[in-house]
Amino acid sequence: MKKTTGYRRVGNTSVAIKPTKADHSFNFLVDFFLAVLLVIIAVPLWSTITLSFRPNDYIGNNLQGMFLAPWNWSFAAYKALLGNQGFILAFKNSILILIGGVATSLLLTIPLAYVLSITTLPGRKFLNLLIVVPYVFNVGMIPSYLLVTHLGLIDHLAAIFLPGAISTYNCLIMRSFFEGLPNELKESARIDGATEIQVLIRVILPLSKAIIMTIGLFYGVSFWNDFFHAMLYLNDNSLQPLPILLRNILMASGMNEYVEVNAFGDAPIAAIKAASVFMSAIPMVIAYPFIQKYFTKGTLLGSVKG
Amino acid sequence: MANSLEKKRSSQLVRDIRRHKSVYLLLLFPLTYYILFRYVPIFNGQIAFRDFMALDGILGSKWIGLKHFKTFTHSYYFWELLRNTLMYSVGKLLFSLPLAIILAITIYECNKPFLRKIVQTLAYLPHFLSWVIMYGILLALLAPGDGIINDVIKLFGGKPLDFLTNTDAFPWIVILSDAWKEMGWSAIIFIAALMGIDPSLFEAALVEGANSWQRVRYITLPSILPVIVIVVLLRLGTILDAGFNQIFMLYSTPVLSVADIIDTWVYRQGLLEFQFGLATAVGLFKGFIGMFLILGSNRLVRRFGGSSLF
Repeated sequence: MKKTTGYRRVGNTSVAIKPTKADHSFNFLVDFFLAVLLVIIAVPLWSTITLSFRPNDYIGNNLQGMFLAPWNWSFAAYKALLGNQGFILAFKNSILILIGGVATSLLLTIPLAYVLSITTLPGRKFLNLLIVVPYVFNVGMIPSYLLVTHLGLIDHLAAIFLPGAISTYNCLIMRSFFEGLPNELKESARIDGATEIQVLIRVILPLSKAIIMTIGLFYGVSFWNDFFHAMLYLNDNSLQPLPILLRNILMASGMNEYVEVNAFGDAPIAAIKAASVFMSAIPMVIAYPFIQKYFTKGTLLGSVKG
Repeated sequence: MANSLEKKRSSQLVRDIRRHKSVYLLLLFPLTYYILFRYVPIFNGQIAFRDFMALDGILGSKWIGLKHFKTFTHSYYFWELLRNTLMYSVGKLLFSLPLAIILAITIYECNKPFLRKIVQTLAYLPHFLSWVIMYGILLALLAPGDGIINDVIKLFGGKPLDFLTNTDAFPWIVILSDAWKEMGWSAIIFIAALMGIDPSLFEAALVEGANSWQRVRYITLPSILPVIVIVVLLRLGTILDAGFNQIFMLYSTPVLSVADIIDTWVYRQGLLEFQFGLATAVGLFKGFIGMFLILGSNRLVRRFGGSSLF
């Protein structure tokens, strides 16, 4: 959080006024609310994490399990997952979808957003209308399903990221970022004889790291998390990404599925489930702090300026 | 005179277009994408008015007019789907929006940097988790046999409850889990608005002897009110989206009567029962109403001084 924008801190203001009783009760309630919220946010995460490290011979319920000392944790569930071919394959498929999806999406979104940001462009109004109409009028999932089927994309990983390759919303956020860049830079490059593609690559892109990271993160999250399209379009088991495998593991409860889950070795089933939840979340959790500063900046720019 | 002016204008246009030649080149792939993946589905939407047979193709199937639409609006599940959809979207708005506002204000007011930072970081995080992952987390919490919440219930001598298959509990699980996941993310825009408040207002209030409560009541809240109005309006524009991924992951047959929303119904009718025409008609119905809602809400947003995205 930036301090320069006048982050208000009563204690720091030059006006030295003794806090009243009301101020104390207010500050206490603020801290109390945040502390309670912290517990509410942390408990579900913590319970899943501790569950994934549960040893096989653990006696006690999950509530007690949350307080199990880390030196008693067992890595059996993770060993079982990482030793499982199906899991490794699903992880690999997810990575492929992530990389292919983010690359395709950015390669399509950046030029479009840039072109829409050129205010002098003839036909700009029409272009805007062209991309906004399908955004406003959503015909639902069946017509897209028929299209993907007709294109023969069934059982291709591209079926997961091609239909949603450009998010109009992301594109409009990026457009308003580009619009906010100083016009003189672009103009002087154009006067020097640069083509629009050169202006985009040499002038715009170096200034747009924050927005590209932010939008890239948005795309990455949506592709990494997608299970619905994978469920519709990938029938081949060797193509299934992590969310589909995770869903199958989580839904397994009866005797039949027990055998399938048991393919993961002798770790407790609950621990296997929790560990696969954790493993599915880990790339997002690792990437998140690095990109957090960008997205706060980027979304703020996008949302405040609209 | 007018003629030459017109000529001048059109030659100006030609020159403008020529000057931007390389710009149009940049559009090649994005526009192909829009035509193929955005406009072809709109074209495919016509099967809502046809008796679609896969063998006959889209254009070969018989026109049947509004039959699918009538089937839907006259069916008993129509009101149930509408009720559930609105229950979830309005419920989420009523519940998570005040929470997001309070969270933003408390984060802004908190004078313990450590507490502020850790809450802020943790509160954004769940937004990035998928509903499959959320389902896994909820299982660890809510499972009838060994979920943490049931452990607590048992600790106090209560009877364990299977929350996800209980029709009374299910709507609350949906609304609360959504609040848990999205609260922090929704707070971002309010935090941004709070940062924009002129600090001299607070100093003036301090000099005048206002306490913290009065400051929040008379400066902070009125300052972010326009943003709150805009957020509410934008949410109203998508009021028919009740959260397909969430419901799809959490629901099951025992709770269908309180869980089924328009989108999940479309999925089942279309892709499990292969009633493509009927399902498309319902999708179109929703898209059509949604269009008016989005356009209306954006118009209002502009009136309230916000700039809409389009």
